[in-house]
Amino acid sequence: MAPTREVFWNIPRLGVVIMYLLAFAAVAVCGYGVYQHYRTWRRGKPASRLTPVGPRLRAVVVHVLAHGRLLADRVAGIYHAALFWGFVFLFAGTLVVFVHQDLGLRIMQGPFYLYFQSAALDLMGLAAAVGVAAALVVRYGLGSPRLRRGILSDALVLWLFEGILVTGFLVEGLRIAGTRDPWGPWSPVGYGISGLIDAAAISEATIRLGHAGLWWLHFLLAMVFIAYIPFSKLFHLVLAPANVYLQPLVNPAAPGRIDFDKAERFGAAALGDLTWKDLFDLDVCTECGRCTAVCPATATGKPLSPMHVILDLREEMKRTGTGAAPGRVLAGDVIAPEALWACTTCMACMEACPVFIEHVPKIVEMRRHLVMEVAQMPDTMEDALRSLEARTHPFRGAGISRAAWAEGLAVKKLPRGDRAEWLLWVGCAAALHERNHATLRALVRVLDAAGMDVAILGDEETCTGDPARQMGNEYLFQTFARQNIETLDRYGVRKIVTLCPHCYNTFRHAYPELGGHYEVWHHTQVLARLVDEGRLALTGSAAATITFHDPCYLGRHNGEYDAPRHILQALPGARTREMAQSRQKSFCCGAGGGLYWMEDRTGQRINHVRTDHAVATGAEIVATACPFCTLMLEDGVKARGTSIRPMDVAELLERSLRGEHH
Amino acid sequence: MDIIVCLKQVVDPELPQTEFAIEPATGRQVREGRPLVISTYDENALEVALQLKDRGGGKVTVLTLGPQAVISDAFRLALAMGADEMVVVDDPRGPDRLGGEKAAILAAAIRRIGRFDLVLTGCESADWTERVVAPVLAEALSAACVTFVSRVEAADGTLMVRRMADEGFHRVEVRLPAVLSVASDESNRPRLPKLKDILAAKRKPVHVWPVADMPAAPGDLAAGVEVREVVIPQRTTRCEFLEGESAEQAAALAQRLRDLKLL
Repeated sequence: MAPTREVFWNIPRLGVVIMYLLAFAAVAVCGYGVYQHYRTWRRGKPASRLTPVGPRLRAVVVHVLAHGRLLADRVAGIYHAALFWGFVFLFAGTLVVFVHQDLGLRIMQGPFYLYFQSAALDLMGLAAAVGVAAALVVRYGLGSPRLRRGILSDALVLWLFEGILVTGFLVEGLRIAGTRDPWGPWSPVGYGISGLIDAAAISEATIRLGHAGLWWLHFLLAMVFIAYIPFSKLFHLVLAPANVYLQPLVNPAAPGRIDFDKAERFGAAALGDLTWKDLFDLDVCTECGRCTAVCPATATGKPLSPMHVILDLREEMKRTGTGAAPGRVLAGDVIAPEALWACTTCMACMEACPVFIEHVPKIVEMRRHLVMEVAQMPDTMEDALRSLEARTHPFRGAGISRAAWAEGLAVKKLPRGDRAEWLLWVGCAAALHERNHATLRALVRVLDAAGMDVAILGDEETCTGDPARQMGNEYLFQTFARQNIETLDRYGVRKIVTLCPHCYNTFRHAYPELGGHYEVWHHTQVLARLVDEGRLALTGSAAATITFHDPCYLGRHNGEYDAPRHILQALPGARTREMAQSRQKSFCCGAGGGLYWMEDRTGQRINHVRTDHAVATGAEIVATACPFCTLMLEDGVKARGTSIRPMDVAELLERSLRGEHH
Repeated sequence: MDIIVCLKQVVDPELPQTEFAIEPATGRQVREGRPLVISTYDENALEVALQLKDRGGGKVTVLTLGPQAVISDAFRLALAMGADEMVVVDDPRGPDRLGGEKAAILAAAIRRIGRFDLVLTGCESADWTERVVAPVLAEALSAACVTFVSRVEAADGTLMVRRMADEGFHRVEVRLPAVLSVASDESNRPRLPKLKDILAAKRKPVHVWPVADMPAAPGDLAAGVEVREVVIPQRTTRCEFLEGESAEQAAALAQRLRDLKLL
């Protein structure tokens, strides 16, 4: 006889009929719940997220099947993987039974029955049981600080899981014992249990009674599980893989485009002003708290927790359903404006989110409503935008002119009629702050030493408009963008190098949508290439211990972590040390999202905390690659009274070029 | 209440010192290539007008004097903030005229606008700081005048205003029509316009009147003032060391500060 087992051993025919009826009921409840959610998502505006299929499927493989981001938290990632793959196998086993029994395709037999349906399923089930137990221990034994929310509903779900697994094993053990199953040893856990039953010398009638009772309990728990999916965090079983697939493939921080000739509302006043994907996001959240755990605003005591932004929006979505109940104003009634204004758009939350929820664009959409519709924003930010309008830069009270840094340097200027292969886009934060003049001058000397043909726009350069964009004034941003594109095109600019990651990001991602197409390089990318090509004679000793602070708009926003490190490693004698929070996990300097222009009064200052991180490495120099980061770290160093020196990578490179010891 | 707000366009007072220049021959400030903005306190005056309109209705007209070609986008801001219309007295020499002379032209323009209950100006301009436009305007229009007003409340045909004083403030009741010069106050921080108002401002009426069409100003209001020379002050620093022991140094320091009237 081929190895197999009887599917409905010990279950009378009527019981099987009832089972099918209950199963249909459970699936119907589940379907109804899903449909209700689907109707609420449809309130959102359109967004196209279905293609391209290839890279999206690849992301599903990496982040769902291989648990890419989940494993960023090693312990949680491993136990989640255990219970995830355990349940995937058990679900597959259930499908096998379905095909075998209900479709009549006798696949559950022979070696397949022994290796997969018996051995593999048993071991994976055990893995799932251990994984669930670990999840329970982490929550209720160790008291994980980030898993504070939904602590009761989590318990319900986890004990439901554990109940299904344990009853399943018991049923299997009783069946093996009751049927004297010759293939029993292929199911090691169930066989072990059957051994205990044999040892206890339980009568066959008792075995049958116990089996029937536990079989029904196991089945009912499974049906509760299915019916409960769309009404609980279990929903992420379905939604999380979908959301990984639907993720923004490029420039994930970007809020939606606004066509001011057509738009009637600017930004998100109500849920219906967000996209369906934004609303979908809200239901995907499992309240794991990874976003809030890495948020620099939360960490320094600001009234922002990215997870609660998502959950509060979800609460509003639940409350208003498909739009029958009157919606409240998101920025103000649902989310405190102070929370929205505390976001540095650093993307730490989005980088940490294992299910790819997009927090930052939602925050910017709500800011847009505050700024463009209600005209309310923090005073100091308002001053920055007024300055931007009046004098083309956001630095109110800047006591220097835009081209002052270049005095005495032979730099080509396009407005003077010079022509060059590259435009060096200086950026306001570098041009208008004396601290960054050293960086600029160093950069120009290095580029010159490598024989690069570079010119600047001088007084014709203006802000890219990025601060306005991050603060929510998309209209002002587009005004600047169009003007700049006009200027750049007038001078026939094709290649841009800039030392400001914010300008870099804007040129790279925002200008193409408005018709400005340029080849854009960050200065560290150009410098890394010059180092590689051997075009710089790095003769001078740069003996020092250096730690590198990743600028958010270079790293997380644009994926460039290696170029600056490559340069530092090329410096003769330099030793590098990483901060605990570096690369993808880097901690913002506090200036992003327009927050350079906001008084950071609540809690600790982000830049002071980041300075502490740098000091903790014991490095003498904290290198960075962003004029804003440099300013923020300089300020942090002053406030903390430490001796660590913030320096741009370009400055360090230039010193090594000149052979200066420091 | 119908309110006219006089706005002056000035070279950005926050411009770096190195960008501030005077033409030696004419003594006029170089405006070319410099950002032009609405003079600081004039925006506060506009905000006061808009708040009065928000509470009691009426119409707010902004009035400015200068070369029409450069008075453009920056002043759309005033319409975006909520002014109903704008009158530009096109005067290429506008920026170089003195306060009294300007006030006379503005008075003529206001008479041409016709109806008004209240005229508001900034308490002083960000460039010349003469502080004469409001009083001269009041004289020319036979209206009441209060200067350095920080707060205004409409009260049954009159106004209750706060006038800033060296210590504290005066409360003054003013009959209409009146001319007030407005100082900055936490209550009159210029509002941020909403985007729909910025877009709508493009369709609001802007009247351009050549300065030649303004009836000749009564000469006596502007007479008697002449600019002889304009120079950029040179800032110098001097360092002085006080001799002696700490106690003697402290005493000497106190004496020096008293001499300088700093104590």
